[in-house]
Amino acid sequence: MEGFNYRPGYCDERIGMIKTENITKHFNKGRPDEVTAVKDVSIVIKKGDFAVLKGPSGSGKTSLLSLIGCMSRPSSGRVIVENRDVSRLPERFMTAVRRNTFGFIFQQFHLIKGLTVSDNVMLPLYPTDITPSELRKRAEEILNTLGMAGRKKFHVQKLSGGEQQRTAIARALINNPAVILADEPTAHLDTHLSEEFLSIMRNLQQEGKTIVIATHDPLVYEKEYVNLSIEMRDGIVRDAVRKS
Amino acid sequence: MSINKHRNILDYTLQSLLRRKFKNTGIILVFTFVIFIVSSIILLSYSLKKEAGLMLKYSPEIIVQRMLAGRHELVSTWIMTTILEIPGVSKVEPRYWGYYYDSGIKANYTIIGIGDSGIENNRLIKGRMPSAREKNVAAIGKGIADARIDIGDSLNLQNSEGKWMGFKIVGIFESDSEILTADLIVISEGDFKMLVKMPEDTATDLAVYVANETEIPTVARKIKERFPDSRPILRDEIIRTYDAVFGWRSGLILTLFAGALAAFIILAWDKATGLSAEEKQEIGILKAIGWETSDILEMKFWEGLVISLTSFMCGVILAYLHIFLLGASLFAPALKGWSVIYPDFKLVPLIDFYQIAILIAITVLPYIASTIIPSWKASITDPDTVMRG
Repeated sequence: MEGFNYRPGYCDERIGMIKTENITKHFNKGRPDEVTAVKDVSIVIKKGDFAVLKGPSGSGKTSLLSLIGCMSRPSSGRVIVENRDVSRLPERFMTAVRRNTFGFIFQQFHLIKGLTVSDNVMLPLYPTDITPSELRKRAEEILNTLGMAGRKKFHVQKLSGGEQQRTAIARALINNPAVILADEPTAHLDTHLSEEFLSIMRNLQQEGKTIVIATHDPLVYEKEYVNLSIEMRDGIVRDAVRKS
Repeated sequence: MSINKHRNILDYTLQSLLRRKFKNTGIILVFTFVIFIVSSIILLSYSLKKEAGLMLKYSPEIIVQRMLAGRHELVSTWIMTTILEIPGVSKVEPRYWGYYYDSGIKANYTIIGIGDSGIENNRLIKGRMPSAREKNVAAIGKGIADARIDIGDSLNLQNSEGKWMGFKIVGIFESDSEILTADLIVISEGDFKMLVKMPEDTATDLAVYVANETEIPTVARKIKERFPDSRPILRDEIIRTYDAVFGWRSGLILTLFAGALAAFIILAWDKATGLSAEEKQEIGILKAIGWETSDILEMKFWEGLVISLTSFMCGVILAYLHIFLLGASLFAPALKGWSVIYPDFKLVPLIDFYQIAILIAITVLPYIASTIIPSWKASITDPDTVMRG
């Protein structure tokens, strides 16, 4: 593994898929319970990377993932996606970037109860011009790929943990995103299901997608195909190691 | 913008409503009940006002009563000549009428004694009207006929001396307004005077007809000047009184159903003041996976529209059936008034754009607003905050 030393403010001058420049994120700014979740972080994630944000609970991984994925705005600094500063974009454009670039897999899966697997998978594309029949076709294709075709009409609350996660993966893939962001995806899975999840992510990476996973699970960050490992603690990047 | 996007969002909205079918059915039931009550009151009071309008269509421009110690007294008919001399007055007629309490059915009849000029605004269904000098015959309104008697039957009324007078029914009539005829008995002027022992040369009141509407207040003023103990009542004043009475009674009913309205207000308040944690999280998820704020608001708009319009349609249709087919059976006694003689009181169906607009303004619009505002508040924050929170 060829590493490099992380320096605050460091930016890879090569054009990256995602770049953060000295981003800081405060919560409850100016109040007694103010928290600085991310402090002065600058990282570069290139197209096709299998990146891991690792660190203990409360280290700022999820906040950084949220900033990268345009789910929140930095208090200061810039987030650059595909050479475009998205941190000050109006909400509407930020949403468009989020929808067209990222697929999210959440720790709690965040599937919508009461809806079928198929309906959950189609959710990201409902507010688009795609016809209902095309939507269903896309959902079925992805569910087939993930071995979930037989469960498409099941309500999500009746699925096992692994099936719920595959549904969440299918939902993240329906808009054919360039980047998959996953927050503690193996936290609620046993070893077998965790391996299965990682295998799916590995396949997606090999298809050309960028994978960014926030985790404190060694099973994830010790995988040999993880080529960018960013270690966080107390909101700052302690170390960033990129394999060649 | 393609129609597909809106179709997809509407599709999701319907799924969303079905997902919470018990909660939404409950809201629809409560909301339907409230709209039913409010619509019934509005439809009934409007229809009663319309009835009042029909009732007054043939009434004279001015009615002259005599007052004694602040109470209505019989009026002397000799003043008719003086009134007729007032410029603008085209005709003056005495009117003979009063109420009769029938202890058998515990209801009041309105009895009219007709003179040579007959009675306007009534259509005979069967038989004929009594003539001015005919004795012991009567024509009855459809309401009484439906309740108890028919042509050829005898109607016995007790006079003021306690003696019974028999009247053979010779005709049954109706009018544009059932209020007019429901409890009405028409007998001859002579029989009426005998029944109530009314002195000669007196009448219950006088009907004064004025050809030119603009002269009505002047004529009324001159009558009052010439006969200070008289009370000229203008037709417009009667219409205003009806409006006030029905308005007051509507208020009474609204008060009676204040509990239902309070329940609705609490429901609306609950919707307006915030979303459940589950709903907030759902908005956060939708935003996180690429829904815009406007998409979420569109969804919530459809959601509010479907619930409130469904309730609105159900409530208004039920109210229509209640008022115009079932005779407002739930609260007719309070709104229609003082008698129980109205077994088949049917109002003229009346529903117009103004009523619909009022109902939509006080029911559908507040509900949609109470659905959208908290969703808007939730959806303008970062999805990350919503999902953590």
